[in-house]
Amino acid sequence: MAKVKVATAWLDCCSGCHMSFLDLDEALIDLADVMELTATPITDIKEFSSVDIGIIEGSVSNPHDEEVAKDLRANCKILMVLGDCACFGGINSMRNLFTKEEVLRRYYIETESTKNGKIPSSEDIPPLLEQVKPVNQVVKVDCYVPGCPPSSKAIHYALTELLEGRIPVLPSEMMRFD
Amino acid sequence: MNEITLAINDRQVKGKEGDTVLEICQANGIDVPTLCHHEGLSDVGACRMCVVEIEKERSPVPACTYLARDGLVVKTNTEQLERYRRQILELIFTEHNHFCMFCEQSEDCELQKLAYRYQMDNVRYPYTFPSLPVDALSDYLVIDHNRCILCGRCIRACSEVAASHTLDFSQRGWKALVSADLEQPLGESSCTSCGACVQACPTGAIFSKLNLYKGKTDECQQIKTVCPACGVGCELNVLVKDNNLVRIEAPSLTEPRGPLCRMGRFRLLEPTPPRITSPLVRGKQGELEECSLDKAVQVIVERLAEAKDGFAGMISTRVPNETLSLFNKFIGEVVGSDSIDTRDGESYRIISEGIRLFQNNGRGLDIECPIEDILEADCIIVVGADPEKTNPIISTLVRRAVSQRKAKLIVIDSSRDVFPLWTDLWLKPRAGSEGVLLNGLAKILIDKGLVGPGKAQAELIQSLSQYETGEVSRTTGIENERLELAAEMYGWAEHGVIIYGEGLLQGNDASSITTILNLANITGNQVEGELRVISLKPCANSRGAWELGLAKGIKQDKPKGLYLLLADERESEELLSWLKGIDFLVVQTSYYSSVTSLANVVLPSPIWAEREGKYVTTDGRVLELKQVLQPKDGLPQDQEILIEISKKLGHRLS
Repeated sequence: MAKVKVATAWLDCCSGCHMSFLDLDEALIDLADVMELTATPITDIKEFSSVDIGIIEGSVSNPHDEEVAKDLRANCKILMVLGDCACFGGINSMRNLFTKEEVLRRYYIETESTKNGKIPSSEDIPPLLEQVKPVNQVVKVDCYVPGCPPSSKAIHYALTELLEGRIPVLPSEMMRFD
Repeated sequence: MNEITLAINDRQVKGKEGDTVLEICQANGIDVPTLCHHEGLSDVGACRMCVVEIEKERSPVPACTYLARDGLVVKTNTEQLERYRRQILELIFTEHNHFCMFCEQSEDCELQKLAYRYQMDNVRYPYTFPSLPVDALSDYLVIDHNRCILCGRCIRACSEVAASHTLDFSQRGWKALVSADLEQPLGESSCTSCGACVQACPTGAIFSKLNLYKGKTDECQQIKTVCPACGVGCELNVLVKDNNLVRIEAPSLTEPRGPLCRMGRFRLLEPTPPRITSPLVRGKQGELEECSLDKAVQVIVERLAEAKDGFAGMISTRVPNETLSLFNKFIGEVVGSDSIDTRDGESYRIISEGIRLFQNNGRGLDIECPIEDILEADCIIVVGADPEKTNPIISTLVRRAVSQRKAKLIVIDSSRDVFPLWTDLWLKPRAGSEGVLLNGLAKILIDKGLVGPGKAQAELIQSLSQYETGEVSRTTGIENERLELAAEMYGWAEHGVIIYGEGLLQGNDASSITTILNLANITGNQVEGELRVISLKPCANSRGAWELGLAKGIKQDKPKGLYLLLADERESEELLSWLKGIDFLVVQTSYYSSVTSLANVVLPSPIWAEREGKYVTTDGRVLELKQVLQPKDGLPQDQEILIEISKKLGHRLS
């Protein structure tokens, strides 16, 4: 039987959810028998080809994140999001309490340790969106694994459900928001 | 109450007329999720988590406010209801900031628990991200409006339990906020920092700085004990993790001695002065030096063997009866002195003299009524007392009587109105004329005939003859009309309670206390041999110590030697100046202080949380102080040290 193809992406995040995935340790060996990682930050392949399962960590905070989310959505059959940032906006959405100008000024100019700071601008740096968004406000999401980060156990549960052809919904005892 | 039968989830269950559907569900073990409901507070149906379907109702109704009727058919767990509940949660999560990873209350949050239960793994609505203020300037409390779900539990706790009425909603709709007074910062408001709101808050919107990052409820051991902060005797639920105090809660918000105050809930958690962790003796250079217990005991024994004359004992009434009894024997039998007192012995001697002068019939402190009587009162006189400062729960009960029972409140105080927002009548006598004022009131009551049949005996009438109202008015500086008004308010009351405290006790005026007892007696404010009079005693176990006979009094103006078992009581100016000039001072205490710097020998003592034993409340209930912490560094209990010294002196104490 052909292996299930999986691609992952990280958007505005700390990469903790991917680390939690790697924390599956020896369970990864069994998973490797049935699934194949294609484009992921782990393999460092950035171009998505058509896969069965897409996984996104992180919130949508700039136009690049939006592009990546749409690209992966277009290339996968089922899209799962990992972690509080992707599910709800998470810690990144703290900046939604302020305007993006206030946030940039505070970060690049007003921090106590900064002297003569300036807000960087370049064509290569995507501008911030006005508001940080969870992934489901940009593309359709099929299933969610919240947690900051989700435990490896929760990620394993969700992947196993997907590999067995079911859409996972985390049982209450695996739910975590922090 | 008529019994009613209803069908809940196809099961026949019984309840009483007047019960809500939620009450009947809970009594029958039928699980209905709630959020704005809190045991002991009224229900308002704010959150809609407890919605149920009721046959013939056109839409789901909140179970917490729906009165049950005979024959109702109720469903609590249909698929539609479960969908609604999850939807309500999603709406709550979008309203303010409910991101758990930067909330200290995560894991101790009812909102989070419900979201887990309903597997809320995403939110289908846009978040509103309002930027709301955080008020962190109060001594103990923080209000973070961003975490608030506007359930109103804090507001109901503040009005119904604390009777403070500080918190309420301000603004409306999207802009609604919980506010103190008229949008004042909490620290500048009428808030008494009792913390009932903290206990009632289901999220991280109101919390105490003193509880932060110490531990989660699930990680803690919970031990019930009695509060050592004053003599009211509230039950405490102490949460302990790794032998550290994490949080103190009220086991029940509804018990009269239940809601707790800033002293019991917060002050006990505040940082303390450094602990005494080893015996200390004064060395050759005059500095206190650490030493073994044996060595310290040796120094004391040598001094006692040299001269027992003029040696006295004094003990704090924060310690339980067992320690008090042993100390009594220690000073009496081992030291051989009848010069013994408690730190607050003077208060006892004034109160007991006042009671003796009243009828001289052998009655003691048992002549006073239980503090619960305050809740039944229709008129309360507070004289020479500031309960909000010394016994805040008494103050809560007074406010409850005033706000919930429309009791009249009369404050007699020469310097300030101690219930500024609550007093009906403040009588401000010239300092020192409180006794004249009280006698004047008694005379007006008799003259107006506001006394029970046969209560005003000739002897009393005779003794009051000198207190003509005009004369009393001149002496006290209070107009006739106000004196008469006060007498009538109290005289007409069916259930008048008089509370007095340190203001009168410091005046060294036992006759004022006799007059208070006379006032209660002639107006018939008594029940089953108890007069409706309450004295506020200085310490948690004052009454226990006094009834054990420790408040005999120090015989000399200044004893030559003193064994002071101060325990975890803090020093006071008055104590310090008295201790100066005592030749040989042994202090058994928990903390370094100015008192220890006067001592020749310092011995360690456990703090309240490390002790156990019996406490007697201000109104005579015997309660159990439980040990909640292991003594720091394995320090000995007070009794062990006393027994050790006795052994060296050839006495067997137990």
